[in-house]
Amino acid sequence: MSTVVKSNELCYLTIAEASAGLRRKDYSPVDLTEACLKRIAALDGKLHSFITITAERARTRARQAEQEFASRKERGPLHGIPIALKDLYMTKGIRTTCHSAVLENWVPDYDATAVLKLEEAGTILLGKLGMHEFAFGGPSVDAPFPAVRNPWNPAHIPGGSSSGSGAALAAGFCYGALGSDTGGSIRTPSAHCGIVGIKPTYGRVSRYGVVPLSWSLDHAGPMARSVEDCALLLQAIAGYDAKDGASANVEVPDFQAELRGGVKGLRVGVPRAGWFDENLGVDATTETIFNQALEVLKNLGALIVELDGKPFSTARKANQTILVCEAYAYHEKTYQETPMKFGSTVRRRILEGAFLSAADYLTAQRARSVLNEQIRANFHRVDVFVVPTAPRPPETFEGMDPNEQNLRPSFTNPFNLTGLPAISVPCGFTPDNLPVGLQIAARPFEESTALRVAYSYEQATPWHERRPEL
Amino acid sequence: MAKELTIEDLRFMADRAGLTLSDDDLQRLLPGVNRSRQQVAALRAIIAPADEPAGVFIASDGDRK
Repeated sequence: MSTVVKSNELCYLTIAEASAGLRRKDYSPVDLTEACLKRIAALDGKLHSFITITAERARTRARQAEQEFASRKERGPLHGIPIALKDLYMTKGIRTTCHSAVLENWVPDYDATAVLKLEEAGTILLGKLGMHEFAFGGPSVDAPFPAVRNPWNPAHIPGGSSSGSGAALAAGFCYGALGSDTGGSIRTPSAHCGIVGIKPTYGRVSRYGVVPLSWSLDHAGPMARSVEDCALLLQAIAGYDAKDGASANVEVPDFQAELRGGVKGLRVGVPRAGWFDENLGVDATTETIFNQALEVLKNLGALIVELDGKPFSTARKANQTILVCEAYAYHEKTYQETPMKFGSTVRRRILEGAFLSAADYLTAQRARSVLNEQIRANFHRVDVFVVPTAPRPPETFEGMDPNEQNLRPSFTNPFNLTGLPAISVPCGFTPDNLPVGLQIAARPFEESTALRVAYSYEQATPWHERRPEL
Repeated sequence: MAKELTIEDLRFMADRAGLTLSDDDLQRLLPGVNRSRQQVAALRAIIAPADEPAGVFIASDGDRK
């Protein structure tokens, strides 16, 4: 290993930087893997981001990658890069728990499509990450594994449900991770942990082998420490898969190639009226930071257009109705057989679906068609929507209110309901040093546009360079 | 506005769904269920008779796997 690179610096490289270093032979895949494993062993006791660490498997794969590099069999920018997976991605021969006692010792006999694609790209799997139980509800206090903590302040929640993915990246335990997103589960932990996460268009990334929460709202997607890294990971996992009934047979562009196009003349829609003031409204610090982010985009040449936020606000009602009905339908049999294996939070949320009727569910699906049309009609006037990712900074575990999510606007739900691609990028910090995220959503299958706006913003600001003190 | 359910309503519905829930369970569930029902009532107000559900059955899907 080069003497100029210390272990912690290695752990905080971006994928793009690490990949370039591997090609320069500044270090090897074994060095990267050992640096991550060492850091996890030293620090994850505070954060609980990992449920299962696959250290020996990772070392074997790292040595293989090292040999492949030596014999010039390079596979691409993810070759030799250590990553980790939310523990609802099925992994052949590796326990997949969904952070639940229900699946505490379940070992799948096949890999999710996204996992196979990352394997083929040459990544090195470090392990499986903590999450909200079955990607639902909130941090689990009565699950067999401890709740994941926020690296910026362990007294605070990391956001969920891909909580381990957000925390592990912010803590420098891995270079990239996969999350899943049904109502904001990639974007919220990305915002709360100060990293980047993209929920692609519905159908862009296969969900085959990803344990479902709500089939018609579930999305699989990448999380990383930079926009460029998200583009690289998305490139590897995107594409049609006949094994996923919702998979779209749409051409996959070169996401990295379009990053540097800038935002000059781009029309940025802000659906503020009738949404930001819903119930308790947006936290004042969050809105101030968000408005400063809009100024940055304006200075980069974007045009800001205020929009009616009412359909976005209503979208949460349809999203939540569909979600609880589909979640109950999926879990009904297991719940009736072993109710006490579910944690109390997820039990309460899942059961809400048992008390809604088939007509209620179809009403929500009909409303989905209407809202989808109303929201997408805005694309005649704007190119992207920009809103805060979360309505407030991460609360403390102690002060957590289970009803909080219904008291403030949900800025993430509408993009699950409409299936639009949406990315969260760090846009500032509160006076308490907690991260805030900026969300950019684009037209269907225009992830490149969302990535381009996020990249332009990221490169113009210093937020992605900050690291938590652990 | 949807009618507010009571614990008794919820107990009847739970029985019908084949669920055995304690009074404490039902008490914890009640606010969420009533909120869900109000949400559905609000959604009903935005749809017109001609609006079809978003979910579509595609007959050829059986050949995909």
